[in-house]
Amino acid sequence: MAKTVSARTLRNSFNQWFFWNGCSQQAETMLGMAFGQSMSPVIEELYDSKEDRAAALKRHITLFNTESQVGSVCNGIAIGMEEQLANGIGTPESIQEAKVALIGPTSAIGDSLWVATIIPLLLTISLTLSQSLTNAPWIGPVLYMLVYPLGTYLLSWKIFRTGYKAGLEGVQQFMATGQLDKVMEAVTILGLIVVGGLTATFVNASLNLDIKTTAQVFDAATETYTDAVISVFNLDNLLNNVFPKIVPLALTLLVYYLYSKKNWKPIAIMGLILVLAVIVTIIGYIPGIGAFS
Amino acid sequence: MSVLQMILIALFIYLGAIGSIVGNTIGWYCLGRPLVASFIVGLIMGDVQTAMLVGVPLQIAYLANVTPGGAVAWDLSYATYIGTATALALKGTVASTPALIGLAFTGAGLGGVVGGTMWGIHYSLDVFLNRWAERLAEQGETRKMWMPNVLGGQAIGFLARFVPALAILAAINAAGSSSGLNIPGWFITGISTFGSMMAALGMGIILSFLVKKNIHWAIFLAGFVLVTYFGLNTMAVAVVGIIVAFIVYAADNRQEAF
Repeated sequence: MAKTVSARTLRNSFNQWFFWNGCSQQAETMLGMAFGQSMSPVIEELYDSKEDRAAALKRHITLFNTESQVGSVCNGIAIGMEEQLANGIGTPESIQEAKVALIGPTSAIGDSLWVATIIPLLLTISLTLSQSLTNAPWIGPVLYMLVYPLGTYLLSWKIFRTGYKAGLEGVQQFMATGQLDKVMEAVTILGLIVVGGLTATFVNASLNLDIKTTAQVFDAATETYTDAVISVFNLDNLLNNVFPKIVPLALTLLVYYLYSKKNWKPIAIMGLILVLAVIVTIIGYIPGIGAFS
Repeated sequence: MSVLQMILIALFIYLGAIGSIVGNTIGWYCLGRPLVASFIVGLIMGDVQTAMLVGVPLQIAYLANVTPGGAVAWDLSYATYIGTATALALKGTVASTPALIGLAFTGAGLGGVVGGTMWGIHYSLDVFLNRWAERLAEQGETRKMWMPNVLGGQAIGFLARFVPALAILAAINAAGSSSGLNIPGWFITGISTFGSMMAALGMGIILSFLVKKNIHWAIFLAGFVLVTYFGLNTMAVAVVGIIVAFIVYAADNRQEAF
């Protein structure tokens, strides 16, 4: 009789992966130990002798990495292949090759679709709610805490089962249909519009240059001329008349340029923002030409 | 902050870190996000309203904080729990909301650097666990494979996160309760300016994920002017965005949808 992995073991293996995939992350095998742990119930069910179990465990604690939420497809595929191997189909080497081949694409899809698009989008919607509902700002985080983990668990489990059932070829065929790209494009457009709105709402920056002079001003109440400080040239007002919030927009585009074209690290950009903040604050305090003076 | 409050916040700093016991979906990607972190600090310290005032700007500034290939230079969980706790502990010393946000970013800067260092220690020490896992695999011990991963990894992870976090929180608490603390006005102006400029960090980096062709710049600018010229709030912009996204998706599929 052919050996199969029971539904209970599948769920057990998935849960061990879903909750503990990052527990022992390190440079040598990345998520290798966690992958080995999630395979252990499967291996116990498929193989009876100590030697077979040891051989199977050893091939699953080697180097492995992925974006673990979308990457559960790799676990599904590996379980499917391990099941076939226990029934005499395939080779241990082909399992290794499949795992290594999946590292790149699943990391790329997981990082770009899930981590860099879905998570920020869901956070954006939640923080917009918190921002709008000033009397009940807790609604945003509570919504995110319910929707994100629950939705991801269900999706990750579905992807895991798809990997197990469809196998390597089935998954590759789906990725080739292009349906994913159309969804990505629509989500990207939503993201862009919202990010545009958030930039205009939340990024604040001013150059604080406000040249002043002392002049005689007619005071209507007392009908006399008195000395008063008036603004001659306010750079921020001038720029905002040309295009509202152009300085915050320019700062955002500078961050974009440094990050994506010059490969600056976020922490370095943060340092630069700190330096710029110090500079405009100092300008603001210079007597005669600063906005705060 | 009472000792219990400090312990609870330090515990959540550990839980919200990458690779904690509750898994990255519940930990790093949920408890570790600034929006959720500030809410939890607010609950612990009994001031959700103020916590969310700093939580929203922190979330925007760190919206793009992702970890491709596990490279954590900036530890978001450490940064935002410490940042919100700093703002709440020192809120008596400042008057305005921008100043409060500035305090939160200052605390987040400190917390993030410590957290990044702690992550480095965790990541390096975990390498030794591989020898343990190899020995268990050699024996075919399927039922013990969780030990190096969960037990070993988490013992290191917990110590590297909980203990330093507690020390930082105690220091912030001491600063907040010392009556002589008088923050000068120019410093408040400086950190307020920094806080309001930091939103550009999140927006600029998220743009580099989203923009793939030139037309995308026009769409981004459309969202921008909906606020500056048309005065829409962010919720209204999101609704417009959803409508446009649906239209684009339908057009992409060449459906007779409209």
